[in-house]
Amino acid sequence: MKIVCLLKVVPDTETRFQINSDSTDVVWDASIDYIMNPYDEYAVEEAIKIKESIGADVITVTIGKGEEEKSIRKAMAMGVDEGILIENPDLVNSDPLSIAKAYAEVVKPLGADIIFCGKIETDTSESFVGPAVAALLNMPVITEISGLEVSESGIVATRDASGRKEKFESSYPVVLTAEKGLNEPRYPKLPMIMKAKKKPLAKKDDAGTVIRTSVKQIKAELPPSKGAGKKLEGSIDDIVGQLVDGLQNKDKMI
Amino acid sequence: MSIAVFLESYNGELIKASKEAVAVGKTIAEKTGKSLFGIVLDDNVDNVISAAGQIGVDTIKAASGVSLYHPTMYSRFIVNAGKDADYIILPATVWGSEIAPQVTVKLDATPVSDIIGVEDANTFKRSLHGNKIHGTVKAEGKMIITVRAGVFDVPAENVVTPNVETISPETMDSDSIMKLAEILASSTGTIELTEADIIVSGGRGMGGPDQFNIIEDLAEVMTAAVGASRAAVDAGWREHSDQVGQTGKFVSPKLYIAAGISGAIQHLAGMSSSEIIVAINKDEEAPIFKIADYGLVGDLFEVVPKLTEAIKKVKGL
Repeated sequence: MKIVCLLKVVPDTETRFQINSDSTDVVWDASIDYIMNPYDEYAVEEAIKIKESIGADVITVTIGKGEEEKSIRKAMAMGVDEGILIENPDLVNSDPLSIAKAYAEVVKPLGADIIFCGKIETDTSESFVGPAVAALLNMPVITEISGLEVSESGIVATRDASGRKEKFESSYPVVLTAEKGLNEPRYPKLPMIMKAKKKPLAKKDDAGTVIRTSVKQIKAELPPSKGAGKKLEGSIDDIVGQLVDGLQNKDKMI
Repeated sequence: MSIAVFLESYNGELIKASKEAVAVGKTIAEKTGKSLFGIVLDDNVDNVISAAGQIGVDTIKAASGVSLYHPTMYSRFIVNAGKDADYIILPATVWGSEIAPQVTVKLDATPVSDIIGVEDANTFKRSLHGNKIHGTVKAEGKMIITVRAGVFDVPAENVVTPNVETISPETMDSDSIMKLAEILASSTGTIELTEADIIVSGGRGMGGPDQFNIIEDLAEVMTAAVGASRAAVDAGWREHSDQVGQTGKFVSPKLYIAAGISGAIQHLAGMSSSEIIVAINKDEEAPIFKIADYGLVGDLFEVVPKLTEAIKKVKGL
């Protein structure tokens, strides 16, 4: 069994961003901490669990621009066997289809039974790469899974879709994307952290694919803020009364 | 040259997120002069077609007899029905987000995902970094657009009788290596968060899973969906599918009631675009009050049941 995890590195989700001087992007400076995309971490954890239960080689593939090795080493400390890192800022800044094509090109010769990634990238809010890689490699895809059973012959995956629970069956190979709740990612232990430093990480500067920018970011801004908050005054009965009156007569919500 | 909208439906019901995608399609149609058509796959297409006709969709390409979702089959059908369109628009639901990249690959098109605004025919707003930043993107070429649920208003009623072209979907027979085996009812079985006009959410202040019954009672009298903060989900009180926030769902209902939620940035990122926000919290310093239209400082176990009773009275329940 071979599992390939597409691993993206993103700014820490607690980062407070500032807008740059020409309002085209956020300020990218040294104050930003980079972490493994939290949803990719669920994918990595699940891959390691499969490795522990039925045996598997787990490889991560990352496209990045120089902030990635720390997170890849963390994945290795969790149990990933080896990593491939394509360092190419132009590719990182290209459109999602170009990025997916580069991933597909790198992953194709690896002969993966499962390709795993997170359901969404927390920085760009893209959910594109997993299903696109599946289409490029002619593999089926099941996204946003929160439950997974694996056997030698195939998988059973469950997910929540618009308020329903859907259960899918598939043989290999298959592309899966992970939702929160699939598992609880482990904290790597010190011996594993030491071991991870010596695991193979192959670096390349190109995937040999065409890079397009059919979608370009031209502006960045903070979301419009809501007006100052308003607190109601009075006893509990009074404020509940004011609220219901406001919702009914002013806002027409009831 | 035209605009195609995937009208996602389930069991003959056109979902609200699809109507919002139609609203985006209509905006682009106005800006470009292009015509719009809908794409339907369902077991009961008549019901979906008639619902689309209520909001002015006058042309539909439909596949009937589709009783089970299959992403590859849906993608292929949408590619065939939409291959000549300049835009294919899908709701950014689980299905829509799963299908859109596959359609983009097959048509070698330009992906514009999860939009929250339309500036002009090729310029769109997106939400970045967990909704802490809004970005504007310019796209070129044939576009496959997904639309974040709950952001755009459903188009006004404009009843038409659609012209329907029925096309047989490709059958995914037994040699298909992947299939949807079973659909189980949701554990909560109530209104989906991203489809709801009103959401009542509980947070850490609820203190435990059983106490959510007062949230559910309020939600019931208001015909609202029930949400939760990350603290309540991480504590195991509610399912992750109920979570509102950066690592949960992004919602922007007409009315959002937050009970026992302090308002961490990661929660605010997921709900601050709600039209009206009501905050109930005993800590008057809680950050949630900064964005609340109605801030109620008090014990939620006292306030919420009283609110439920007061609304019952108003509604004559």
